[in-house]
Amino acid sequence: MSGGGASGGSPGRRAPGVAFLFLAPFLVIYAIFLVYPLFKGFWISLHDWELAGGYREYIGFLNYEDLWTDKLFWRTVRNTLYFVALTVPTMTLLALLLALAVHGTGRLRSILRSVFFMSSVFSVTVVTLVWSMVLSADQGLLVPLWHAIGIKPVNFLAHPTLAMPSIALATLWWGVGLPMALFLAALGQIPQELYEAAELDHASRWTVLRRITLPSIRHTLLLVVVLQIIGQFQIFGQAMLMTQGGPANKTKTMVQYIYDTGFRDWQVGYASAIAMALFLLMLGFSMLQLWLGRKGDEA
Amino acid sequence: MHHSKLLARLALATALTGVAGTASAVEISFFRFFGDCQTDYGTVMKASEANGECGIITALTNQFNAENTIGAKVVTQTVDWGAYYDQLTATYSTGNIPDVAVMHSSVLPNFSDRDLLVPLADGFANVGIDTADFVPAALKNATTNDTLYALPYDLHALLFHVNVDLMAQAGFVNADGSIKLPTSPEELIAMGKEFKEKTGKFYIASESQSSEGMMVRLWESFMWQQGVDVLSADGKTASINTPEGEKAAALIKAIYDEGLANTALDYPGAEQAFLNGEAGILINGTWGVDNYDSQAKSGKAVLKNYAVANLPGIFGAPKVWADSHMWVMPKDEGRTPEETEAALAFIKFLNDNNFQWARTGHLSVRQSVIASPEFAALPHRSEYAATADNATALPVVQNQRAIFSAMITDLNAMWLTGTEPADALAAMQDGVDQILRRNR
Repeated sequence: MSGGGASGGSPGRRAPGVAFLFLAPFLVIYAIFLVYPLFKGFWISLHDWELAGGYREYIGFLNYEDLWTDKLFWRTVRNTLYFVALTVPTMTLLALLLALAVHGTGRLRSILRSVFFMSSVFSVTVVTLVWSMVLSADQGLLVPLWHAIGIKPVNFLAHPTLAMPSIALATLWWGVGLPMALFLAALGQIPQELYEAAELDHASRWTVLRRITLPSIRHTLLLVVVLQIIGQFQIFGQAMLMTQGGPANKTKTMVQYIYDTGFRDWQVGYASAIAMALFLLMLGFSMLQLWLGRKGDEA
Repeated sequence: MHHSKLLARLALATALTGVAGTASAVEISFFRFFGDCQTDYGTVMKASEANGECGIITALTNQFNAENTIGAKVVTQTVDWGAYYDQLTATYSTGNIPDVAVMHSSVLPNFSDRDLLVPLADGFANVGIDTADFVPAALKNATTNDTLYALPYDLHALLFHVNVDLMAQAGFVNADGSIKLPTSPEELIAMGKEFKEKTGKFYIASESQSSEGMMVRLWESFMWQQGVDVLSADGKTASINTPEGEKAAALIKAIYDEGLANTALDYPGAEQAFLNGEAGILINGTWGVDNYDSQAKSGKAVLKNYAVANLPGIFGAPKVWADSHMWVMPKDEGRTPEETEAALAFIKFLNDNNFQWARTGHLSVRQSVIASPEFAALPHRSEYAATADNATALPVVQNQRAIFSAMITDLNAMWLTGTEPADALAAMQDGVDQILRRNR
């Protein structure tokens, strides 16, 4: 990410072979686990390819044609985009605010740093179980609260408009730790002199934030946003475990559709076509972010 | 998956070195749902001392491991019901193919049509499983293209589980002690309202979220009651968006709209509500009978007076949704003759103990068991004897799980998101048609 030049300080030139030798472990793993599966996935998407039983038939771009007219596919695209829109900006902002709040020295701050990061260590199963218990309209943690103020318990996870925000809420709680840690690391790298100089100039806290802190961590900000986009587009576990995509497909996401198509219905070819569409979407949004970030660098 | 097998082998290796000199054991892997209850039944060695699906199958496995004389050891791998078939399918890719697995008859064609199961007729003949003893319908369920692929183990159907005390409070118990149940859609709503008025409780409890599809099973039953087959026998067309479908869906929506059932209940929530005496009727399958009966008798539940009823013929003939659990041997090139022998011995043992399984509440598929006096003596059997005759299953077509899921999503939307029956049915028809297009 740190886009600066290569500052290795190596004296004389060496044979390019040596460089490759050092890069080889990464390149080999990258090729085997990323490049090859990507092309294999595309190849599978050109087939009627069943998960079990070995039925395979080349059908060209028929899967993609089906996809274009598949209403459920477009609904999952909309749902996924909605979820990304709900989570990425809030997650980034929340992580930044938390990082600013707990950055620095002091016992309370270091305790809170651990507390906020703690939820990230849970598996998705635990997180969704906890939140399902909180949100359940039957035996949920919030039910006594609703009764106390005299309204009918809200069935969050079965509510057509509240289901997705509920999943987003659980995701925020679960995922805010890592971006916060990234922001904390970036904040720690800002030279202290800048703040001292600002203090001498009697700069307000708001000005310090806007003129010093934010510009200094903008590369990290970009990193967090891109990581969040890539991560949140792949939302699966939370929706699968909390709502199974319901009610009425309102929370069915692209990855769940891939899972259902590939593993439940065994249509791996069609599932791969959906996966390709998801890949293009994620690629597009990440590129857009990087491009916007670079534009900022040039200005 | 790999892990547990490895651990099991390690444990076995330790055990073997401990008791040096015993005959070498043949280990077979056993893949099933029904839950994990090692804590309660891990040491129960007699199936007759266990209760409920999970307890009985766990005890049966223990009993086989202890009693068999060929040195076979069954290692169980329990998979959560929702993920079971996905995981079973995955074993064909990972190579950890189980030796014995449970399978619904509705799912069987997906596997048998792709040559993923071992034909069993010869094996059954060798170990002495008498296929003539099976109820003809069950044998038919276990057979595709004239090849027998499974040991049918039960027939399970939807039932009305009844809280008799609440029914009496509402005045719905006849002089002879039988439960008064509705015979038409209008009567169902009217009785439900009266029940609610007199008891202050829900008339009906059932899983109403997006996971189990209990209401899809009820809706399918209502379709058969009106003489409509939801899926055609060739698996090519579906009759969902029909006038009959709309009548059935409208009744289900009305149950929720009139507040006769709680929309917030998931599967355990519905069971709990019934056991806590918060609902008159629990709509759930035969698998619950033994469990609810023992809970009511234990005195720990609020429910004290438990009874069972056949699903009434609300739209005509009292047809009811049914499916069947069976045991299969997934095809595995690497399986040794000893493992095959052990697997068949285990299947035979399960078949010999079919009565124990029937104690769960399921209907037996062995004529000799059905005719036996101890079967007739099981609690509540006489109350739902007719279910065996009313039981109706979808035709043996592929992709029934996908079809089921597609229907759940849009049917449940009626009470979860407020869609109208006509729109729900149109969406269900669309979703199912899209799946049927893929059926070969």
